[in-house]
Amino acid sequence: MLALPPGTSPTAYAAGVPGLTAKLLPPEQAFRFSARALDATTLEARFDVADGYYLYRDKLHFTVEPIAARPVELPAGKRKHDEFFGDVETYRGQVVVRLPLAEASGGRTLTVHADSQGCADVGVCYPPNPQQLKLVVPAAGAVPGAYVEAAPARWFK
Amino acid sequence: MTVAEESTPVAPPVDPRRRRLLIGGAAAVAATAAGIAWFERSRASSQDGSAVLALVLPDVDGREQPLAQWRGKVLIVNFWATWCAPCREEMPQFIAVQKREGPNGVQFVGIAVDQADKVRDFTKEIGLNYPALIGGLGAIELSKALGNDLAALPFTIVLDRAGRVAHTQLGPLKTAQLDALLKDLLHAAA
Repeated sequence: MLALPPGTSPTAYAAGVPGLTAKLLPPEQAFRFSARALDATTLEARFDVADGYYLYRDKLHFTVEPIAARPVELPAGKRKHDEFFGDVETYRGQVVVRLPLAEASGGRTLTVHADSQGCADVGVCYPPNPQQLKLVVPAAGAVPGAYVEAAPARWFK
Repeated sequence: MTVAEESTPVAPPVDPRRRRLLIGGAAAVAATAAGIAWFERSRASSQDGSAVLALVLPDVDGREQPLAQWRGKVLIVNFWATWCAPCREEMPQFIAVQKREGPNGVQFVGIAVDQADKVRDFTKEIGLNYPALIGGLGAIELSKALGNDLAALPFTIVLDRAGRVAHTQLGPLKTAQLDALLKDLLHAAA
């Protein structure tokens, strides 16, 4: 980590639009990914999208290891017309997605991967953002597990 | 005074390589004076666009294109992607300015954080009249090294004819802003 002079914002250099960079969140804060186990065969993934930001539905993908998730049904997003891609759906606020597991996994530690891509209303987009987290699935009959937040995204390690 | 100076009131972050060069070339940066001296010198180093001019990237046909071939022009390097709607929205404006100001020594170069086939289709569709180089996702890291700390797009760097960074921009370049910048840079060079 570089020591910057007092009062220096590390993001100030890119502030071509005065204040824009300072106002923008890094993607892992704009699009907070978390997940929990609901029961031995079901996980729940969640994105908390900050105000002024949105995710693209067709860029949102989840995978689970080492127990696979069965096909995932994403909730409907808000329709938006994009002159290049046609009609696209976007998510704002909270997106909750159920991930049914291929087999009962009580007591196991699973890794949940999420790929997402989103933008800010001020006119910038973030690159595809792979994130992952590990969670422990509760044994059958136990209460749902707590939400686990994703580690910082790869771009910011 | 350039636009960059007006809109960059504080010192930029300096990557470790640049910082080493900076310190190596500035023995006078004593610990006691580090605050002010570092501030001034890192500002000076941020004006150096040699890292941009040193780039060599393939175009949509796979030919390697060194950016140094446009040395001496007012060079506008725009990081973009087809998956970035605000990027696509500002490109028709760039096409118009390239057409109008190209003969006066302005050169746009797009660096796509994207795949070649998608870039080729899109540039045909909008009739791009300046080079689209393919950077892939690695171009995001490249833009970060050039000051794009948030790794977001569009991100644009403007070099003057002497190869100094005159302006960096995260987010769309508004028409009036671009016109004012070019007026300044083209006038300064005349």
